[in-house]
Amino acid sequence: MEFISKPPIELGPAMLILKAVFVSLTGIFLLIAFIVLRRWHRGRYFERLNQRTYAIRTQWDDIISGQIPSKSWRLKSLDCSIVEAILLDRIEMASPQELPHFLKPLRESGLLDMRILEARRLRGWKQRTALIALGRTRTPEAVPALAEALDSPSKDTRIAAVRGLGRTGVIEAAVPLLDRYVAGQLRVPEHVLKNALADSCRSYPSILLGYLDQSGGPNRELLARILGELAGPDLLDELLILTADALPEVRASAARALGNAKTSVALSALSALASDPEWFVRLRAVVALGSLEHPGRIKPLLRALCDSNRNVRQRAGWALARVEPDLDHILEQVIETKDKYALQAFISELERSGAVDKVVKLLELRIDDAPARSMLLDALTNGKKHLEETALTSAAAAAGR
Amino acid sequence: MLTFLQISNDTLFVYYLCSNLIYLVLLVTAIFKNTLHRHRLASLRLERLKISPFTPPITLLVPAHNEETFIVESVGSLLGLDYPGLEIIVINDGSCDRTLAELKRTYRLEPARLLYIHEIPTARLRGIYRSPIEPRLLVLDKDAAGSKADAVNAGLNAATSPYICIVDADSILEKDSLLRIMAGILSDPNRVVAVGGIVRVLNGSRVAHGEIAEVRLPDRGIEVFQVIEYLRAFLIGREAWAQFNALPIISGAFGVFRTDLVRRVGGYRPKAIGEDFDLVVRLHRHLQEQGESYHINFISDPTCWTEVPADLRSLARQRARWQKGLIDTLWPNRDVLFRGRYGRFGSVILPYMWVFELLAPVLELLGYSTIILAAALGMLSRQFFLLFLLFGYAFATLISIGAVLLEEMTYRRYNKSREVARLLLYCLFEHFPYRQVTMIWRLQGLWQYFRGDLQWREMKRTGISTPVAQ
Repeated sequence: MEFISKPPIELGPAMLILKAVFVSLTGIFLLIAFIVLRRWHRGRYFERLNQRTYAIRTQWDDIISGQIPSKSWRLKSLDCSIVEAILLDRIEMASPQELPHFLKPLRESGLLDMRILEARRLRGWKQRTALIALGRTRTPEAVPALAEALDSPSKDTRIAAVRGLGRTGVIEAAVPLLDRYVAGQLRVPEHVLKNALADSCRSYPSILLGYLDQSGGPNRELLARILGELAGPDLLDELLILTADALPEVRASAARALGNAKTSVALSALSALASDPEWFVRLRAVVALGSLEHPGRIKPLLRALCDSNRNVRQRAGWALARVEPDLDHILEQVIETKDKYALQAFISELERSGAVDKVVKLLELRIDDAPARSMLLDALTNGKKHLEETALTSAAAAAGR
Repeated sequence: MLTFLQISNDTLFVYYLCSNLIYLVLLVTAIFKNTLHRHRLASLRLERLKISPFTPPITLLVPAHNEETFIVESVGSLLGLDYPGLEIIVINDGSCDRTLAELKRTYRLEPARLLYIHEIPTARLRGIYRSPIEPRLLVLDKDAAGSKADAVNAGLNAATSPYICIVDADSILEKDSLLRIMAGILSDPNRVVAVGGIVRVLNGSRVAHGEIAEVRLPDRGIEVFQVIEYLRAFLIGREAWAQFNALPIISGAFGVFRTDLVRRVGGYRPKAIGEDFDLVVRLHRHLQEQGESYHINFISDPTCWTEVPADLRSLARQRARWQKGLIDTLWPNRDVLFRGRYGRFGSVILPYMWVFELLAPVLELLGYSTIILAAALGMLSRQFFLLFLLFGYAFATLISIGAVLLEEMTYRRYNKSREVARLLLYCLFEHFPYRQVTMIWRLQGLWQYFRGDLQWREMKRTGISTPVAQ
């Protein structure tokens, strides 16, 4: 580094700097030129795109019906991409009755075959673009090409394939996903897979049951989670079996599904799950119990209100605070538990749901039982006060820590 | 003396070369990552994420201190965000103005005796309010503790979602920003523990009903310089550092964190000056100590618009505070430097922050002084001296133009050619004289820190509902 501080006689070492300056200035010039040219090019492109889109939209019915032959737009890349974009948008929004109307030109023009070919032959982002387009077609023909891409070494391609399969929304798409997942051959983010499976299994959730039997550990948990979202009353027997599963996550998912099913047959199973050793299973069961319209739910919910876990208590309080019109009787039963945390949780949730005034009105109507009324009102007032004090004392304690 | 000057000049020359080289690597990495990210976005459908039952809920924490001008519009804008399972907790941090009153009036807030556990110590909580007309909204009213950190911690105690998003009350999130930022987390929820979104300059843009109606470049030069700085910092710096899993900071204006993890590290450090930087450093440290595999990421498409200082005085205060925040976090974590167990956090991120961020203004000042002195003493040829200065200027300008290029290639928020031309023009002046002025402010920050002057000085603001330019 000595050359920097030596007085140079000629330009000498400064030559290096001069070159660096030249390179930097050239870089500045090139970047500015690139920005300017790119803007100019994009301006022209979008102008042309707008013109062609307008022209195609004015002839749209003729294009769809085939009166304008597909060869007139199919071989012009800009026109082809515009028609495909409009068509795929329509397909995505179409009802099952409208779908064949839009799929016909897609198939007859060869657009679908072209995308299948691209998904199989191309690599990188071009392949991914084809996979996404295939998913949007909602056709069973797209499934094999999408399934092949599940084995791609590229994670992004696999994700695009999984999303594509989910978007088709057809049950055929679930099979390659489930086969590979259960065999441990599918490595994609869990959230992407869950959404894709939920979309493709929606019409026939019982397909999951067979795979659930074959799998264990985290795979079983994930499949149960999807089943928990999709299962209806028709799968009640299977769900009841799952409530006794060895995996807590599976039991929690079964509880969720039973809650969605909203059937009173589930009451005893949910009551049992509300006493599960795992707190999150109890939590899920309590939420499910809250959604049942059955008087038998009050007892397990009151038991859950005295749970050792704060979240379970809070959720039980949330469910009980919405049991109208018996809120005054529930308050009475909560007080009978002699559990101050249960009372706190219940009053807290009454506050959150805005039902405190309703309880007070209900209690005021009890003119025939003045001592009980005043005892309950006192409990309610003291409970509110105590809740306030708890917050403040814990704040003071925390501040002093 | 001469030997000192010689060593100093040589060292600074190497420092400058390293700095430029790092920026060049960051620029190339950012271009690569941005391109990749845009291709990935093509397969992502946000509406699917929105209706998915598997999308986790999120709690927005909005600390507000004397924000009566924007709070209602800001909360309204947050309530309008596209996201399933949204909980918004506004923390009124001992405001002396009508912040709480405005919220009470607009959302008909009522006191609620909800169970609130002080897991993380904060200043006294005065009350909790809920809105009968907007069940997603919860307002905490607390004593002021003199820091945003304390307010966020109070909100953290009340948060019920697995993820929290910290948002400034004077900022505007784009409608789909939460979906976009969560897409980044859900791509690998086991590893990604925190994600930052891009923060852009709100000044000059037209705002209507708490939303950006039209993006415009600000009128004042001082604001345009900050637009370039933000583009460079986010689109180049953070994008590239995140690619190496070495992101040192997630902006306090917009970031999503895993709730359990933030609670585990004790939330924000109440006395921290740069609480956002401090939290990310502590998260890195904690996760490295636990030997966990993690990723703290940055995603460039979820956007938050924030007001930046529009006058020199406010800008000077902000830059001085940032510099104080740097040293306030780096100094307590000096034991991490170059220790193997902390991986690239200890061997790359923190050394970089020390040498190229914290000490940059000091070394820059030293550099200017010794080079001028050496030139005056005839140790440095005039040609070399001028060429070196010209190189420094040209290279730094090249990087700034690179940031504008990235913006052009990606999100193109400034659409008019005239605005892009202005941005490019300001790039030419950013490194002389703007940079030298900010260097002085940063030095002032260091000086204030060593003097023990840690006072928070408020920024003069115009208000998000008041468009700067019509």
